Amino acid sequence: MQPISRRSFLKLAAAATTAVALPQGLKIDFQAFAEEAKAGEVTKVPSLCNGCSSYCGVWVYVKNGRLWKIEGNKTHMKSRGHICARGHGVAQNVYNPGRVTQPMKRIDDQNNFQPITWEQAFQEVGQKMKALVEEHGGDKFVWLCHGGKESYAQQFMDIIGSDNYITHYATCFSAKTNIWQNMAGGMFNSDFDNAKTMLFVGRNYAGGIIPAAMKRITQAKSKGAKIIVVDPRFCELATIADEWIPIRPGTDLAFFLGIAHTLISEDLYDKKFVAEYVYGFEEFWAHNKEFTADKAAEICGIPAEKIREIARALAKDAPQAFLDPGYHGLAAHYQNSNETMALNVIINALLGNFWKAGGLFPAASTTFGHPEATYYGPVAAKGPRVDGAGVSGEYPLVEPSRGIPQRIPDLIEKGRVKIVFFYSYNPLRSAPEPEYQKKIKNADLVVSINYDWNETSLYTAHYILPENHYLERTEHPKVINGNIYWPAAQVATRFKALESTTSSLALLDIMKGLTKAYGIENLYGYTVEEELEAALGPLGISVEELKEKGCIELMPTVLPKDEGLTFSTFTGKIEFSIGAWRKEGYLGVPTWVPPLVEPKNANEFRLIHGKQPWHSHIMTTNNPYLMAITKEKNGTYMWMNSSRAAELGIKEGDWVTVTSEITSKQVQVHVTEGLHPECVWLPSTYGTFSEKLELGYGQGVNYNDFIPARIDKKTGHVMGQECVVTITKGGK
Amino acid sequence: MANYVMFIDPNKCTGCNACRIACQMQWGLTPSVNYNHLIEQETGKYPKVQRMIIPIQCQHCDDAPCQKVCPTGATYKREDGIVLIDAKKCIGCKYCMVACPYNARVINEEGVPEKCRFCAEYVAQGETPACVSTCMNEVRIFGDLDDPASPLHELINNQDVVQLRPDLNTKPRIYYAKSKRG
Repeated sequence: MQPISRRSFLKLAAAATTAVALPQGLKIDFQAFAEEAKAGEVTKVPSLCNGCSSYCGVWVYVKNGRLWKIEGNKTHMKSRGHICARGHGVAQNVYNPGRVTQPMKRIDDQNNFQPITWEQAFQEVGQKMKALVEEHGGDKFVWLCHGGKESYAQQFMDIIGSDNYITHYATCFSAKTNIWQNMAGGMFNSDFDNAKTMLFVGRNYAGGIIPAAMKRITQAKSKGAKIIVVDPRFCELATIADEWIPIRPGTDLAFFLGIAHTLISEDLYDKKFVAEYVYGFEEFWAHNKEFTADKAAEICGIPAEKIREIARALAKDAPQAFLDPGYHGLAAHYQNSNETMALNVIINALLGNFWKAGGLFPAASTTFGHPEATYYGPVAAKGPRVDGAGVSGEYPLVEPSRGIPQRIPDLIEKGRVKIVFFYSYNPLRSAPEPEYQKKIKNADLVVSINYDWNETSLYTAHYILPENHYLERTEHPKVINGNIYWPAAQVATRFKALESTTSSLALLDIMKGLTKAYGIENLYGYTVEEELEAALGPLGISVEELKEKGCIELMPTVLPKDEGLTFSTFTGKIEFSIGAWRKEGYLGVPTWVPPLVEPKNANEFRLIHGKQPWHSHIMTTNNPYLMAITKEKNGTYMWMNSSRAAELGIKEGDWVTVTSEITSKQVQVHVTEGLHPECVWLPSTYGTFSEKLELGYGQGVNYNDFIPARIDKKTGHVMGQECVVTITKGGK
Repeated sequence: MANYVMFIDPNKCTGCNACRIACQMQWGLTPSVNYNHLIEQETGKYPKVQRMIIPIQCQHCDDAPCQKVCPTGATYKREDGIVLIDAKKCIGCKYCMVACPYNARVINEEGVPEKCRFCAEYVAQGETPACVSTCMNEVRIFGDLDDPASPLHELINNQDVVQLRPDLNTKPRIYYAKSKRG
């Protein structure tokens, strides 16, 4: 059943030719060939899924040198033995026809590339980088990536003097991480197992899936926990909720203010916790005591009595109750996203659930060892951040560790950026306004390190340096923690399961080649295996043990506690009033901020989006298995409430023209009862426009097509749902 | 001899489709050949809405219509309850496809009307079917009804369970928790 490796093919071919004797050419006994293939031994190799930033632990089953299947690792805190559809699909991407098979050099403006050798690629890119850095300075170099667990670029940037490590977070959740850092000293995560009431607002764990979260939420529900989902869309999590409460999109802040007002005005909040661990409570109340549940109801459309009922239910079960801190859902979406995130911290603090069973906990963590440094040469002084993140007079409140990725074309035009490196990152599809993002090609040097022919590579890269598929490499280890509560940190990594079918390399080898050609000898003077050993050493874990178990859990360090809490903030308390905001002349406490734009006319809607459970945003549209599901489920359709659709004469499957201030596109409509009438909803997946990704090409549209590239002044996010579209029937 | 049955709680399903693709990987199927179907239906009127999701696959009927109509005996039932098809005996007449009231059969790459096999070769080795083990919501529970320790006794005997199209007397081996949605 499994295809056969080249090696066993040759072995059998040799046996067959000996038997029949040459010179009739190569004769193969296909039956013997098939029998041997069937009997092929299956090996199991541990790895970490690359389908999203959960990095679920997987076991990779390999037969005859080919991927057979993956299964979840039962220890791993994100997978707990389970893998979602996209995880299975992304593993199969190792055979995706859209892969870049060797280094490519652009030859014209028509997206034509010429295959070149790795040596030529390293020499040309390395020397061009060197010349540009010498002429313009190292601070004109930017490294753009998804962010997270990759670290090699930093070492090179330290040497040339670039501070411009920029992640995708501003398009995803930078309001959340920024606000939690400021108010609570870091992220806190929900303890599903012990909660009695769970409130999810704009967080759909069954769409943006963490398998272990869903396992634990459904188990908690079986034990009687109450699940309330507030979302403009009847999302996948709503299917298992006790209650789905649709909300006017963009008004979650009002709902939260109404909850907070009820908790305080009805004396339901945890006064002991607030007295001990909160700074700025009075200031918050002074500015918000007029914002009653009734006022909230007028804005968000949820009846005041329902808002009070939810607040009372949370208070009754507190501290075994939480408002989930969320993820992408609201944290890069609206003009009021920052205040919305602030209210999330405040509501949980009013419930006094920090460090309590059934409440919120910080992530457990650990630190790795490092291989000995092998570079002792000169190091340039770092220039300023080109994107203005954390820079006085520009975007002082934006976390420099996250950056502002949607700003790059502007920075190139201003001459602040000369060299752009993309690592496994595709802003032409995942950031707003693709036509604007295409201008990135105007930089002096654009290099894309990516495994497939994504839009960014095709439209902007001067060189494409293909990284191998995650199953084809061993990596330095990762701390597995965060996003959901788990008392202990875990350690896991990817071990090479498959030989590469293409001439692609691991990032470490690409960086070694580039830096050597640049003229830096021995910057990464170790193999990945040596790095792995050095990293694990201080933890007393051997490489062999990690390979055998796939994932190792350390001692639990984050367990419930009742007193002596400290928060990594200036006051050591949870700060309802943000000092950094006051310093910049803003009010320190959050108050009501309206959305930036509002739909008004009969054919106007707010365009919102979300993750489809079987796709990983934009990165899986060329996968035949996942696109087969899309085809069967009409997954590219844009959702519209049935009453609005009826008003416009739109029926299921009808084509409509969707027009925003920057573009006009056609898409088919899914008519549903499960959506707030004021908005239309698009899955965040589709609209692939790289013609080299044939399966995804031209399928559906993407919300990024419709929104201009904007920057929130406080946390730098894109305000991805501040978009009013006009919808007319027909157009295709 | 085991006595295999499956319990499915559709109230837990959120429609992620992991079962479908895990099965496709397990059996080396092409993208369009699928043994696990999620039938979804929205009910209610805004804002009182529900979405029913029913996972459907071969029911491994004890009185299997597909077996009865098979002219060559290619479709057969094992003593442990699993219904399988012997591809060597199959002539591709597709009678079984027509006879199956659950629409469980699909033509595979070799032209054989295949279907869920309850992961027969794997469960014999003590493994769990791929659709069961990958499911984050633990929608499915598979096991041996003759094993007194199996949680299936409790689930099937003490819960409100239904079977699909009981009127047809096919005696399916899949039991569904009664829907609480809609």
